[in-house]
Amino acid sequence: MSGLRVRIARKAFGGSAILGKIEFDLAPGERAALIGPSGVGKSTLLNALAGLDPDFTGLIERPEGRIGMVFQNPRLLPWRTLAENIALVPGAGGMARARALLAEVGLEAAADLHPERVSLGMQRRAALARALATEPTMLLMDEPLVSLDPAAAAAMRALLISALERTGASALIATHDRRDALALADRVLELGGGPARLISDRASPLRRDERMDMAAIERAHATEFANE
Amino acid sequence: MVWTLFSIGGFVLFWALLSWLIGSDELPGPGAVWRAGVVQIASDDYFFHLGMTLARVGAAFLLSMSIGSAIGVFLGMHGGADRAFGGWLTLFLNLPALVTIILCYVWFGLTETAALIAVSVNKIPNVATTLREGGRALNRDLAEMAAVYQFGRIARLRHVVLPQLAPFFAVAARNGLALVWKIVLVVELLGRPNGVGFQLHVYFQLFDVATILAYALGFVVVVQIIELLFLEPWERHAARWRR
Repeated sequence: MSGLRVRIARKAFGGSAILGKIEFDLAPGERAALIGPSGVGKSTLLNALAGLDPDFTGLIERPEGRIGMVFQNPRLLPWRTLAENIALVPGAGGMARARALLAEVGLEAAADLHPERVSLGMQRRAALARALATEPTMLLMDEPLVSLDPAAAAAMRALLISALERTGASALIATHDRRDALALADRVLELGGGPARLISDRASPLRRDERMDMAAIERAHATEFANE
Repeated sequence: MVWTLFSIGGFVLFWALLSWLIGSDELPGPGAVWRAGVVQIASDDYFFHLGMTLARVGAAFLLSMSIGSAIGVFLGMHGGADRAFGGWLTLFLNLPALVTIILCYVWFGLTETAALIAVSVNKIPNVATTLREGGRALNRDLAEMAAVYQFGRIARLRHVVLPQLAPFFAVAARNGLALVWKIVLVVELLGRPNGVGFQLHVYFQLFDVATILAYALGFVVVVQIIELLFLEPWERHAARWRR
């Protein structure tokens, strides 16, 4: 089984280059965080990886199988219930499976509500359930924890860790929060500069079983990003 | 609902008072119009003419809604096409209804087809302008979501695109019904052997204001029933997910 292979030379909007040279591979099952300041081009890179924006110079080889994507804005269809939003995805397996997936993210009671009637945190969880519905080989997540209150963010983080553990899909998680990056990923890719390049690519100092431990995350954050 | 009834009751009262003050056949009161209506209904002709007009309204409405929506959504989604043909829309939007009607009768003869084309040509630019806004407002985020999750063509249309266009359809339909039936009457008056417009012409020549009002009110009631029975429930259904 092949993984993700990225060899981007340049990506521009109009005349101005957003992404410069970005090259990395992601092995099957490997989870990487993509960090960097807001506006650096993380979403642009994710869109290119998802195949939504083919207008760049370079090459992207995606793993076989389907891609699940969790957008920063959950992008649920507001006129369909949470369960319908999942069941509508081709290959998701109908309403019964949609309900089961929602139950896994703690939303069994909200399955028949429309997205605008539930909180952002719940919408994000539903969007995660949708991303998992097609049993993807690669998950792309754009700031899955941003603008959630601390409790909702903690719940979502735990949910993401267990979902990633269960599916075995490879994952690329864009975030501006280094602690989240350490908690969620085996490897941390950092984008910086303008146009954005890959300025560092390092393994997470934490083992997978240490990543729910906030103190361990704090210690890792202090050593990893000490001189910045 | 109660307030609507009160409001209409007030109007009938005002009308009765005005007609009593003027005291002439030129403004018959509600009672006289009611009696004229009963006479018309008893003669069988009333429902025939009403039905003919209604059939023309229905046909022209469907024709202009479907063609106008297709044009409008296309222009809204393709900036180039909009720049090329947007001017045409403005042109047709400002073409007087009477001119299109006369031209259609001159070019295609005094036929049913000519009548329907004339009404539709008047209405299509309206629908297209409304739905063009709908096409422009289509959400890119949701389109990308549907692409990532490999929605098929039909699913995209049904679950992603059409629900976004529904409010624009509703506006176009509501304005459309009112406009179409007004134009249909003119078309009938100028070149059809039946229908409410034709009857109005006949009773105009007889200066029978009571019968003219009876036809007009009959149609207002029919349009109102269509609105209550179809448009409003559909709008409520389409908006059920809103907060």
